Amino acid sequence: MLGIANIKIETIANGTIAEGDVLIEDGKIKALGKDLDLSSCRKIIDGKRRVATPGLIDAHTHLGLSESGVGREGRDTNEGTDPITPFCTARDGINMGDEAFEVFRKSGITVVGILPGSGNILGGTGLALKCRGMIVDEAVLKDPVGMKAALGENPKNAYGGRRQSPSTRMGSAALLRGALLRAKEYFEKLNATTDGSADFKKDWKSEALLPVIQKQIPLIIHCHRHDDIITAVRICKEFDVKYVLDHVTDGYLLKDIIKDESVHCAVGPTLHYGSKVENKERDFRTPVVFAREDIPFCFITDHPIVDGRNLILTASTATQWGMSDEDALKAITLGSAEHLGIDDKVGSLEPGKDADIVIWSANPLEFTSFVDVTIIDGEIVYERSQN
Amino acid sequence: MLVVKGAKIYPVIGDVLENGMIVIDSEGKIQDIGADLSVCENARVLDLSGKVIIPGLIDAHTHVGIWGDGEGRAGYDGNEAVKAITGEVRAIDAVNPRQVSFESAREGGITTVQILPGSANPIGGLGFACKTYGTIIDKMVVKSPTALKGATGENPKGAHGLGQKQAPSTRMGIAAMIREYFKNAQEYGQKKKRAQAEGKPFETDLNLESGLMVLNKEIPYRVHAHRHDDIVTAIRICEELEIDYSIEHCTDGHLIAEYLGEKNATAVVGPGLSSSGKVETANMTDANAAILAKHGVKVCLMTDHPFLNCRYFLQYGAIAHKYGLPFAETLRAMTINPAEALGIADRVGSLEVGKDADFVVLNGEPFSYKGSVEETYIEGNLVWQRKLY
Repeated sequence: MLGIANIKIETIANGTIAEGDVLIEDGKIKALGKDLDLSSCRKIIDGKRRVATPGLIDAHTHLGLSESGVGREGRDTNEGTDPITPFCTARDGINMGDEAFEVFRKSGITVVGILPGSGNILGGTGLALKCRGMIVDEAVLKDPVGMKAALGENPKNAYGGRRQSPSTRMGSAALLRGALLRAKEYFEKLNATTDGSADFKKDWKSEALLPVIQKQIPLIIHCHRHDDIITAVRICKEFDVKYVLDHVTDGYLLKDIIKDESVHCAVGPTLHYGSKVENKERDFRTPVVFAREDIPFCFITDHPIVDGRNLILTASTATQWGMSDEDALKAITLGSAEHLGIDDKVGSLEPGKDADIVIWSANPLEFTSFVDVTIIDGEIVYERSQN
Repeated sequence: MLVVKGAKIYPVIGDVLENGMIVIDSEGKIQDIGADLSVCENARVLDLSGKVIIPGLIDAHTHVGIWGDGEGRAGYDGNEAVKAITGEVRAIDAVNPRQVSFESAREGGITTVQILPGSANPIGGLGFACKTYGTIIDKMVVKSPTALKGATGENPKGAHGLGQKQAPSTRMGIAAMIREYFKNAQEYGQKKKRAQAEGKPFETDLNLESGLMVLNKEIPYRVHAHRHDDIVTAIRICEELEIDYSIEHCTDGHLIAEYLGEKNATAVVGPGLSSSGKVETANMTDANAAILAKHGVKVCLMTDHPFLNCRYFLQYGAIAHKYGLPFAETLRAMTINPAEALGIADRVGSLEVGKDADFVVLNGEPFSYKGSVEETYIEGNLVWQRKLY
C-alpha cells in the first residue's frame, strides 16, 4: 500500500480537501480524507504544502504516432493513401519509446487519447492509453474509444491537391455519407443473412464501421469552422450515430445547437496560432463560453501541434480569460475522461478509481509549479530530483 | 501629458518601485519616473493601484505580419525559397500591419518586434524592428534594417536539396554557400570603392549590398542554428569573416554553453513551449535559457511567431524562469537584452527618462498565472485592453 499524507487534495468530483491523506491499494484509490490510518503503507509520501490532483488527461494527441526529435521516419499519423481507412487502428502505429512519453509523465499526464490524424475522412480508431511501459497492449486503458473522422481543410488539402476526392467540403461530406451508408446497408444485409454468410463477401471498410453503426463507439469528428461543425451534426443525426466533436474552434458561435445535441467537445489546441483559414478564430472564447454555458468540454494539446507538456499551461491561461480555476482543472482531468468515455476509471480522485495521481510542488495552475511525483495505477512513474 | 500612478513598477534598468509614478510627455516619451513626483495640474492621471507595470516586451525573432496566420497560402510570405541566396529581399516589404498577429503581439504585451525572413535560405534577406501598433509599416519602424538573416541545418537542406534537388543539400553545402556569398560581397565592396574613387559608373547588386552591410558591421548576421555543430559552424564562419552575429534558436546551446560563454555570444532562444518536430531539435530543453545565461551568454527570448503564438510570450518567460533563469534575468531577456541586441536600447527596453513610454499593465506579478496582461501601451497610447468574453 502507498500513502500520501497531509496534502491538499483537488478531487475534481467532490471539491477540495484542504489537508488530507490518500490511501492507495492494488493500483486503486482505497480511501481519501482527513486522518486516514496509513500505518500499513510500505511507503508514505509527505504531502505537506503540496497539492494532489488526478493525473492529467490529454484527450486528443498523436503521441507515439508523431515522434519527438525523429523527423519523417517517426511520423505514422495519417495513412494518406485513401480518404476512407476506418480499418486503421492507432494502436498499430504507436512507438512507446517516443521520448515524449517521459515528458508527458514529467508533466503530470497519466492518460492520453491517441488518434489517427485528420488527413482522412475516416482515419481509423483511436484509443485511451496509460503513459507507462514499453508494450502498447499492456498500456491500453480502452480501445477503441472512437472512430476518427475529419471535415474541413485537411482532407481537402491531402487529396484535392492530387486531383482526388475530396477536393471540396461537399466531396468530404459525400464521402462520409457514402461510407456510413454502405456500412449501414452492410449491417442490415449481415443481419438478414441467417446461414452464417456462406456467400457473404466481407467488406473490410464496412466491417470496421460496424461499431459506429451499432452505436458502440462514437465518431470523433475533427472540425474547426462553424459550418463544418454543423455538417458533422447533420450527418450524425441522419445516420443516428454517437459522436463527439474535436477542435470545435468556432464552437462559441453554435453554443445553443451544441447544448441541444448534448455533444461532448474537445477544444484546442488552444495555445496554437491560427495556422489555417478554418481556425483563424482560435482563442479562449469557445472554452470560456462552454464553461459558462455548462457545455461539457475538455482541453486538448493535439500533441505535437502544441507540445503535451503545455496542457496545464492551457488551463492556467484559460483562467486569465475568466474561467474559474475549478473549471480549468476539470477540463484537463474529468472533462477529458468523459470525452473518452473512461470517467468510470479515471479523471477524479475518488475511492475505487485508478490511482493516477499527480503531486504538485504548489498550486498546479501556477506557471512555475513543478510536478513533483506522478503516480499511475499506484506506481510512481516519475519523481522530480531535488537537485 | 499622462501620469501613471499607484502601480508596482519593474523598470528593468533602475530599482523596482513598489508604488511608482511615470510621467509621459505629449510625444509619448517618459519625462520622469520615480516614487513620488510632482505633476502639473492639467495632466491626465491614470490610477493603476494594485497593478504591476513592466516595460513593453521585445520579441527579438518573429514572423509577425508575414506568415499569414489564419489566411492560408494567400497570406504567407515567409521564405523566398526559390533559390538559396536572397540577400536582396526585405521582410519589411511583405508585412501586413493589419494582420491579426500584430494584435496577438499586443495581447502578449509585446510592443516591439524584430521581423525576419524565414529559415529556408542560408542567406535569407533583411529583417527590421518595428512597433506592434499602426497601419503603415514605415511609420511603425524603429530601425531598419536590423539584420541579415541566415540559416543552417535542416531547413535549407529540406527546402532546396531535398525538395528541389538544388544546392544546398548538405551542411557542407550550406557553409560553402555562406562563405562564397560573403567572399563575393567582399570583392563587390572593393570594386564599388574603387569605382567610387575613380568616379566611374557602377552596377549596384542588391543581393551583395546586404552582405556588404554585414561586412562593414552596420548590421549583424543572424544565423538560424539548432544543433550544436550548426551553432559551432556559424561561429566559425562569422569569426573567419570578422562579422557581428547572433545565434537564433540555439536549441543545443545548453550542450556547449561554456564555449558560447567564451565567445561572448548572443543567443536568441526559442520558440519556447514548442515540441521537437525535427531531428536537429531532439535535445530541446526548457532549461536552455537558464544554462546559457549562467555561462555568460547574452540571452534573449523569442516566440518565433507563429511557431509560438506571441500572445503567450509571458508564459514562455515563466517557463524559462521555472527552469532556472532568475526572475530579473528573465525580464531582461524579454526587454533590455533584445533592445541592445537590436541596437534600439536608446528608445525601448526599459522604463527610463527619455525612452518611449511603451509599457504593459499586469494584473499581478509577471510570470504568475494571476499576472495576466490587462493593458498594453505604446508611446503613451492604449493599444490593447483585455475584454472578457
